[in-house]
Amino acid sequence: MKDFLTMLKRSPAAIIGISILLLWILIAIFGPSISPYTYTAMDMENQMTAPGQGGHLLGTDSLGRDVLTRIMYGSRTILTIALMTSLFSSIAGIIIGFSAGYFGGNIDTIFLRVMDIVMAIPPLVLSMVVLGILGDSSILSLTIIVSIAYTPATARVARGALLSCKGFEYVDAARIRGENHLYIMFVEILPNTIGPVLVEITARFAYSIMMIASLGFLGVGLQPPTPDWGMMVIENKSIIREAPWTVLYPSLAIASLVIAISLFSDFVNKVMVNDK
Amino acid sequence: MQFLTWLIKRLGFVILTLVAMSMLIFLLVEVMPGDVAQTVLGQSATPESVAALRESMGLDDPLPVRYGRWAGGFIQGDLGESLYMRGVQINTIFWRKVGHSVILALTALLFYVPLSIFFGVLAGVKAGKLTDSIISFFGLATMALPEFVSGILLITLFSVKLSILPITSVIPIGQSLWGNLHILILPALSITFVMFGYVSRMQRSSMVTVMNSDYIRAATLKGMPRGYVIFRHALRNALLPTITIIGMNMGWLFGGLIVVETLFGFPGLGSLTLSAIKTRDIPLIEACVLFITAIFVFSTFLTDMLYVYLNPRIRFKGGDA
Amino acid sequence: MKKLMLTSLVLVFLLSAAGLFAGGEAEAVEDKMIIKVAEQVPNLITPGVWDGQAFSLNPSIYDYLIEMDANTGELIPALATEWTTDDGIVWTFKLRKGVRFHDGTDFTAEDVKFTLERTQDPALGHLKAQDFSVVEKIETPDPYTVVITLKEALPTFMYAMTDYNMAVLSSEYDYGTYGESAPMGTGAFKMEQLIPKESALLSKNESYWQPGLPKADELQIYFVADIDASVSLLEAGEVDIVPQISPTIKTRLEGLGGFKVVSPYQESRFIAMAQDREPFDDNLVRLAFKYAVDPEILAKACQGTLGETIYYNETPIVNALAQYKEIPNRGQDIDKARELLAEAGYPDGLTVDFYYGSDHPYGTEIAQTLKELTAPAGFELDLKGFPRDIYLSQYWMNAPMSLTGWGVRVDPSMLLSLAFYSKGPWNESHMNDPEVDDLIDKIKGEVDDAKRQSYYDRLQEAFFERGTTLNLQVPYLVGLSENVKDYRQPVTMISQLKYAEIE
Repeated sequence: MKDFLTMLKRSPAAIIGISILLLWILIAIFGPSISPYTYTAMDMENQMTAPGQGGHLLGTDSLGRDVLTRIMYGSRTILTIALMTSLFSSIAGIIIGFSAGYFGGNIDTIFLRVMDIVMAIPPLVLSMVVLGILGDSSILSLTIIVSIAYTPATARVARGALLSCKGFEYVDAARIRGENHLYIMFVEILPNTIGPVLVEITARFAYSIMMIASLGFLGVGLQPPTPDWGMMVIENKSIIREAPWTVLYPSLAIASLVIAISLFSDFVNKVMVNDK
Repeated sequence: MQFLTWLIKRLGFVILTLVAMSMLIFLLVEVMPGDVAQTVLGQSATPESVAALRESMGLDDPLPVRYGRWAGGFIQGDLGESLYMRGVQINTIFWRKVGHSVILALTALLFYVPLSIFFGVLAGVKAGKLTDSIISFFGLATMALPEFVSGILLITLFSVKLSILPITSVIPIGQSLWGNLHILILPALSITFVMFGYVSRMQRSSMVTVMNSDYIRAATLKGMPRGYVIFRHALRNALLPTITIIGMNMGWLFGGLIVVETLFGFPGLGSLTLSAIKTRDIPLIEACVLFITAIFVFSTFLTDMLYVYLNPRIRFKGGDA
Repeated sequence: MKKLMLTSLVLVFLLSAAGLFAGGEAEAVEDKMIIKVAEQVPNLITPGVWDGQAFSLNPSIYDYLIEMDANTGELIPALATEWTTDDGIVWTFKLRKGVRFHDGTDFTAEDVKFTLERTQDPALGHLKAQDFSVVEKIETPDPYTVVITLKEALPTFMYAMTDYNMAVLSSEYDYGTYGESAPMGTGAFKMEQLIPKESALLSKNESYWQPGLPKADELQIYFVADIDASVSLLEAGEVDIVPQISPTIKTRLEGLGGFKVVSPYQESRFIAMAQDREPFDDNLVRLAFKYAVDPEILAKACQGTLGETIYYNETPIVNALAQYKEIPNRGQDIDKARELLAEAGYPDGLTVDFYYGSDHPYGTEIAQTLKELTAPAGFELDLKGFPRDIYLSQYWMNAPMSLTGWGVRVDPSMLLSLAFYSKGPWNESHMNDPEVDDLIDKIKGEVDDAKRQSYYDRLQEAFFERGTTLNLQVPYLVGLSENVKDYRQPVTMISQLKYAEIE
């Protein structure tokens, strides 16, 4: 932990990243209760008002809804879904990847081939096809489908991490003690692979945000009036000349959040993997 | 000989992947809810007309029969008939759009490869200095942006504020894409934004590794000019991982085109895929997704070949090289 | 490495330069009058199965028996030179002589017969199947006369011929095979090149039956997925006509100068409450919903003003028609709405799935506004937006609540029997009201104008009391570049680009 802080002091980029991320988390938790508006409240006296006017810091959209409030509510949705997908896909990936790497042999070969095949279809395309045809996206279906789309990638990472520890003495020791496979995999090996796994989770977090925003943008994400950031961009694209703020601020929100998480994940990578 | 065995194995796997993928795509799309015949005919359709259409489209045949028919046609180059635009052969629209997307992808490649290699090398040479930090931060930031966000920023600047480039990429009737290359610029730049981060970061790290290697140190110690060492010796070796990354990302790039093409209304494979999904045009979805997959599989395969060609020291053990 | 960099830089410059110069290429063509249109991507374009989105394409390729004058609203002869009936049962249509299809064949009574009989083809799913099921028999005593006998008197039958799906087709052409790729009719323009989902190129029909028409030599239609992309083409001078723009874009175009916006007619947006299922089977719930709505806010959400550009009423008959009966709006009353809901057995409110086409003009605005407006009264609308084609083909007609765009029918009885008659094919709200059914029957058969109007009045009162629909009238707006003259589009929704010219 002390190491961590020292490292952090030497990395201004990581400090920026973590601060922005914390800021977004605070906004997601407290923002909506501070805002004088709800994300659907329509101020019909102020349709497409410029930022700063009529009591709307970041302006309003064509329905007179406060852009700032919608962005704040939207941070809840996107952070929740991204966190869940990165966790779910990592957990699924660890279970699958560990089993394959641990048992090796045919299981491993089949695993590798299947993962290669599934990874040949880009995750965005896979999610789009499934969500597009199902039609009716909810937070749950979005989470499940994006998690599934990401699992092959996380499984490969987890397998690689496990293989790097497999030959160590403590693994053999545990085997000689007669521990069962599950115990060895998750109690002995997992803590020792926590570095790459954490890196994977944080990187996956950033990817998830990109993916969810893109799906929203493509119109196969959540239903309105959910203030999904990607959807806000596409919804207001037709008024980009009249009210550029309705498009620009959600875009900047996505940008700042993804960049912050990437900086953070880059830092985790440095601390956990490279300097060991 | 070893190489030949390896090649045959890899090719076999490419075919296996495509076959498995085609089954997966077919199954995925087939199990989705919604009656195809109903979709085609709309709500005013009578049960008889729906039944007649199901019959004529062979929708009542068992799944393996339908798969065989579809895959068989595919192998012979027949992509089938669009559901949404009845009577329109997918072949008549598909390849035109693929052509557009390939041109867009190549233009983007032309933009981002030199740019990211140059800045990657620069950052690698100046590792740890301010130049490096700035380039690395910029790379990380652009890589993290979804394509539509960078696209929106570009549109705001070049189309809304400066009005020098079009928001929409439409090819005038009677003209081809070649006469309208300016419509490629903004979409290609949006892709460049994303790819720049990946490639320049890869180039930087391999440059750093090479620069720290013994033979480069020796060359520098021998008193060779720095520029000569960098360009003559270091770069040649440091390009290898970059080429791999560029190749591996070709497939990804085709997936990413969906977002970019949708944003700019570019008439390519990506916007075709989205419109196929939105109209639930099943044969068209299958053709698009399978093609994107094939691009990915083949570009990975070619990258592997190129890697082997450039790096003869590699051992042919098969498996995951 | 330097070489690589340099070569690439040069290439990039060349590419950009080539692009910039190429922009001027199009202008250099000779003195052809070309009209360029950007509009939504059509799906099926063969008449009969066409959902109405191919607004510039089809009316340019095909002709109709009867046209409507865009300025006066009167019916004018097209392929039919006159039409007569004595009793509303036997109709005689005299056809224009010397008209040829684009493939060179003559237009005769056989083609009209084919077009009408085609509506009853069960394999086709023709959109006018219901309207023409009243036809008893079609006779062609000579090549230029068609005699249609109906099963019952229908004094307004000729209006059915002006419907956008009733384009006259050739009896000798295989529309099943070529309808989507090489459409062919008698219209003012011929299809030269069709690139699905991208564009269509049409050229002047030199032997068009109407002297002096079409005015333009060429018609270029771009199929563009979103409206803002189309408008950016208009602003860039790449196209001249963009239909279905939003009021916000109208304001922008008018501010820019060099453009004009016309509103040929109004369309309806019906908010349908399905009478055959919970919760709207109870009129109290329907009334509660009506009391919860504030039409002024709805109008503002559509970027308009109530009573000026946007109209609202609780009957399906639009205020532009003579049959319309003025009934004052009931006004928003949330307390009353809550009371009614409680009385209906929903003291804690209720949740309803609300289906709509998310890419249809005004769709998301109306849906989201309704959700917000009716929430205080206890309604929780669960919005289910789908691309319009998916909405129409898979969800519409089977939803507890839905929002659908409806074009104006010149004769409202056509709309009533289509959408509000208990057995109507497009009865989206599943209305099943014996009095309304009876009134619709009487209206269709009544020859006396005053009597018919009294039925219409009573019908609209019934809708106000217990109807299943809310009707928001929104303007249909077309953006034009200033040099477009004589853009015509009557309420039949059929654009008449043959009259249009570019100055």
